[in-house]
Amino acid sequence: MEISVIGINHRSAPVDVRERFALPSDLAKKLLRTIRAEKIFSEALVLDTCNRTEVYLVSKAKQDSLRHLLGHITQLKQASPVTDTSLFYHHQGLDMVRHLFRVAGTLDSQMVGEHQILGQLKNAYRLALDAGTARFLLNKLLHWAFRVGKRVQTQTQLGRGSVSIATSAVELAGQVFSKLSGKTVLLAGAGETAELAAQALLRCGVSELIVANRTLSRAERLAEDFLQNRRAKNLKAKTVCPASLDEQNKVCPVLAGQKAEDGSSTGSEQPLRARAIGLDAIPSVIGGVDLLICSTGSTEPLLTYQNVAGFLRHENHPLLIIDISVPRNVEARLGELPNVFLYNIDDLDLLVARNLERRREEIPRAEAIIDDEVEQFGKWLDSLQVAPTIKLLQRRFAQLQEAQISRYGRKFASSDQKELEEFSRGLCSKMLHKPVAFLRELATDSANSEGLAAVDTIRRMFDLDSLEEQK
Amino acid sequence: MSSLLIIVNWLLPLLYLVLLVDYGATFFLRTKAQIRNPWLAPVLCVHAFFLVLRSIHFGQPPLGNVYEIFSVLALSTGAVYAVVEFVGRDRRSGIFVFLLVFLFQYTSSSFLGASSTQSTGWARLHVVPALVAYTAFAIAAIYGLLHILAQRNLKQHHFGMLFDRLPPLDLLGRMTWYALFSGFVFITITIVTGPLLFSHQATDVPDAKLTAKIVVGSIAWLIYVVAVLGKLLGKWPSRRISSIAVTGFVVIMILLIVSGILS
Repeated sequence: MEISVIGINHRSAPVDVRERFALPSDLAKKLLRTIRAEKIFSEALVLDTCNRTEVYLVSKAKQDSLRHLLGHITQLKQASPVTDTSLFYHHQGLDMVRHLFRVAGTLDSQMVGEHQILGQLKNAYRLALDAGTARFLLNKLLHWAFRVGKRVQTQTQLGRGSVSIATSAVELAGQVFSKLSGKTVLLAGAGETAELAAQALLRCGVSELIVANRTLSRAERLAEDFLQNRRAKNLKAKTVCPASLDEQNKVCPVLAGQKAEDGSSTGSEQPLRARAIGLDAIPSVIGGVDLLICSTGSTEPLLTYQNVAGFLRHENHPLLIIDISVPRNVEARLGELPNVFLYNIDDLDLLVARNLERRREEIPRAEAIIDDEVEQFGKWLDSLQVAPTIKLLQRRFAQLQEAQISRYGRKFASSDQKELEEFSRGLCSKMLHKPVAFLRELATDSANSEGLAAVDTIRRMFDLDSLEEQK
Repeated sequence: MSSLLIIVNWLLPLLYLVLLVDYGATFFLRTKAQIRNPWLAPVLCVHAFFLVLRSIHFGQPPLGNVYEIFSVLALSTGAVYAVVEFVGRDRRSGIFVFLLVFLFQYTSSSFLGASSTQSTGWARLHVVPALVAYTAFAIAAIYGLLHILAQRNLKQHHFGMLFDRLPPLDLLGRMTWYALFSGFVFITITIVTGPLLFSHQATDVPDAKLTAKIVVGSIAWLIYVVAVLGKLLGKWPSRRISSIAVTGFVVIMILLIVSGILS
């Protein structure tokens, strides 16, 4: 039995090469069907994300899987044959297990600590299950990897803190407001980062969005887009399984806390009101705004102390302003108002840098978890060998035999003791005969997934692992 | 009963130490921040049970000596914090409060056995709302200080150690207000019940000490009534309430120390 992974990722190859080998789900399905039909590999799984394309394989014997697989991929993508295979990595045995665990633990990600990879891994697993190429070994391996991912997530600080400008807006909001439901966000301008930040805030349950733009029709279109997005998410939230809702909520630290508390709150369930205004109408609405994200192309400050300070006098109403436009759209003097917290792009960069540094400090702890899990998996894999399993099975029966003789032996005369022992020994060997023969037969084809599953079942049925530990 | 009292007396600092470690883990590891601590209520119940047992055993409320008062202070601080945590649904500030609670109870447990209890009588129950009030003011001062620090960090864009370890700014403001308001309610009860309870009864407190207590209590009431009226009628911002909570508590402490020296 050979387990391996063949892949290409952001470290091994540039994007122009990676995109040639990307396998979106329809192509991944085709590849899995091909692999299943030719029966060279007993199990297979395709993981395709924006930074990696990997194929996990279980085969009966060592072989040149790399060339074989690349042949299939180039055929599927109708690309020219690959001459340089050095861009691909090929890990086997426990190296493959370590690689998968590092992927699940986000250590192999371009942005260490971004846990979306677990969701992508789950999708890849589902695809392989549908194609019938994920069986005993990959089932076990993938579930183990999910557990490793969760362990890294919960036992380290690897995923803490925002590492993008968009999500750092949410992090800052979480430091000012204990909950974002019921809060009003004003999005001034329509830069991509500002939109992403607004989306991240909306996921946290913000209830009102005001879009301000120089062109009112553009603002209206954007507001409508946000509304439709929210409606689609609400619909999805009602139909998808709770696990995926959890994934969605993880992007929002504020919301995640609320959910942990009452177990029910989700951002997408909040009704959203969205409206559009012109840039000149900002002063008239700013008094009721909790969060302002500014990203216009204006070369002059849009919000000056003179034109909005009068509307921001209510000190009980904090206002968080995130100005990500360059040149800045908000006059720095506004930050002097006691209830105004003004951040510009440099401040957000600083926050992101500090969070990235923290994540880097957590890497050794995550690596230690992975080392531990790889070792455990290796032990489990070793336990699936047939010969030691037979020995343990025989020992288990011998133990049972001894226990029964010592329990009932006294009820028999001493002259009958020998016969009792022979009887029990004979009974045990008769009972063991068929299972041992079955296991020996498996030994001739140990690479078979069903065989491994059978060994695993027998070990669990007779609790052979505890016997091994006693040894 | 006395062996049970001894056991619980030594169990309490241990329980508070466990709570302190748990709150420390929340603060330093930034975990379980918005989950109420499930162990808090049971520990406080054990403490209350201990004080009830002790009252039954000695036939008087546990306010006979300074170490008993320390124990009552520990319980009332923990109880006021429990209410604040329950309402605010955030436990990130627990480390600051339980450091104080642990020190109170550890000191109390260390000397309680050796100290003899003075005869006080049930009339001294009047001290309980006063203790709760001063505890609440202490907690309001802690939250007020944290609120001022958080506000300063956010204004100065200082992403240091406290940045994401403290509760959100609006929550700190609310916690300060809840603690200050409950302190105000209890100090009012103390001021009202004091003359009623002692009008027909001689006390063992010397006149100078009694006068000092009345003066400190009244000044405290005056300071906090300004904050309460300002918040309720003038809609004062949390920042100002926090400043009053901190300065008010500092003033009370100075007055208590000075009056203690003078009397």
